[in-house]
Amino acid sequence: MVRVRQMLVLLLMVVSTGLSAQQAQPPPNPDAQAIAEFIKQVETYMELHRKVEATLPGLSDKATPEQIDRHQRALALQIATARTAAERGEFFSPRMEAIVERVLKALLKGPKGQELRKSIFDENPIGIVVAVNDRYPDEVPLSTMPPPILKELPKLPPELEYRFVGAHLILLDVPAHIIVDFVPNALPS
Amino acid sequence: MTSPPCRWLVLIPLVLAGWSAACTPQGTAGPATVASPPPAAPPVPLPNLPDSLKFAVLGDFGNGDSEQYELGERMAQVHTTFPFELVLTVGDNLYGSERPQDFESKFELPYKALLDREVKFYASLGNHDSREQRFYELFNMGGELYYTFKAPQESVRFFALESSYPEPEQITWLEEQLQGSTDDWKIVYFHHPLYSSARRHGSDEDLRAVLEPLFVKFNVSVVFTGHDHVYERIEPQQGIPYFVVGSGGQLRRGNLARAPFTAAGYDQDLAFLVAEIKGDQMTFQAITRTGQVVDSGLITRRVPPQQSGWPPVEAGPFRPGGSW
Repeated sequence: MVRVRQMLVLLLMVVSTGLSAQQAQPPPNPDAQAIAEFIKQVETYMELHRKVEATLPGLSDKATPEQIDRHQRALALQIATARTAAERGEFFSPRMEAIVERVLKALLKGPKGQELRKSIFDENPIGIVVAVNDRYPDEVPLSTMPPPILKELPKLPPELEYRFVGAHLILLDVPAHIIVDFVPNALPS
Repeated sequence: MTSPPCRWLVLIPLVLAGWSAACTPQGTAGPATVASPPPAAPPVPLPNLPDSLKFAVLGDFGNGDSEQYELGERMAQVHTTFPFELVLTVGDNLYGSERPQDFESKFELPYKALLDREVKFYASLGNHDSREQRFYELFNMGGELYYTFKAPQESVRFFALESSYPEPEQITWLEEQLQGSTDDWKIVYFHHPLYSSARRHGSDEDLRAVLEPLFVKFNVSVVFTGHDHVYERIEPQQGIPYFVVGSGGQLRRGNLARAPFTAAGYDQDLAFLVAEIKGDQMTFQAITRTGQVVDSGLITRRVPPQQSGWPPVEAGPFRPGGSW
């Protein structure tokens, strides 16, 4: 009898400990989880980027355009080769994509929306097709990334940038000049 | 500070003949433009003193169009009489593709005459520029997105910023650099204008909130920017005159609107700025593709309060055209 009582007490303790642990932790935030996954992907990508870049001759601060171009294309080729199986959505998972679209919608439908849209489409033609691992289209000027949008998106290392190509939000590897991932038609119409 | 109607245009005839200005009678609205391009005339030389620091400012230029080449030729022509040693670029140095042939057609060829004469360009990056431009030898950025350098003459230090991604690290760097500078003149240049009346972009108020307090605190004397594809000079704000020199190639004709802070402006032709510093004074002229001087004036450097005995906001008397 005593043994049974001891067992019950023990069981109650285990259950209550589990419950209190559950109560102490807030339910997982799906946005935070998606952003954490995005950041993790960026970190993994940067490991690859740095590893590949280390195998190339460094770019001097007195480089010619040919040297810059050669470095860019060599880096792009090696990264693309290492990521041949890369697909759209590896960084911008469906949940992350939804976050991005929500952020953009809120800002572009907000009081400064018109201004932001004008700024994004400054020298930014629409109808350009983009793909993962593709070189940033040569004919397209780099678009403006308004600071209010940048403020709402996860911070990137200096080698990566968010840019718009038309209405697509792309993740651009700057030194390699290639598209790492993108959200198609991220801007609300 | 509010300008009386058309005052900024009234000042221009100091250096111009055959000039016609379009300005609304009240001067409170409408485009700050010139109705028809004035006839070509040689640029008026600045004081052009020996041993002064002579430089030019150019922005939003690299599109490879014929007009850009014509402005490049005008710069070279001005250089023969006013031998500026360096050119500050306020960004958007290359539009569109940035292949080797683009560096050639959008930069090296339009300014070939200047480059051949060993004029040095010190670039800052605009929102359309790739960060890889910082490695380009002829932009003299030393591989950095933001940097500072001392002028070859006079007690002048330039600070080139990257205003598309003004990360906190850069702001901290700027504060340290400004604080540590003992130079008489601190001149800052970057792409996005803290003040602009142009319709396309206008003032970047978020950036202003971050940078202006530093400029005021550390006695920055002049600020050059671009982004809006016009020429505009701003009435001193807290003692500091600002310039928008985004008129180097991608001109937006008729884009300029007059704001209360507008001191002078021009949006009917491509233009660049030349400036000369000697001692405490800087003279400047904005010169168009056709060689017209569309603005000119004199700026006295800001003096720290402990040196001048008065607050910085009063320490920089600004006399456009030398007539105030």
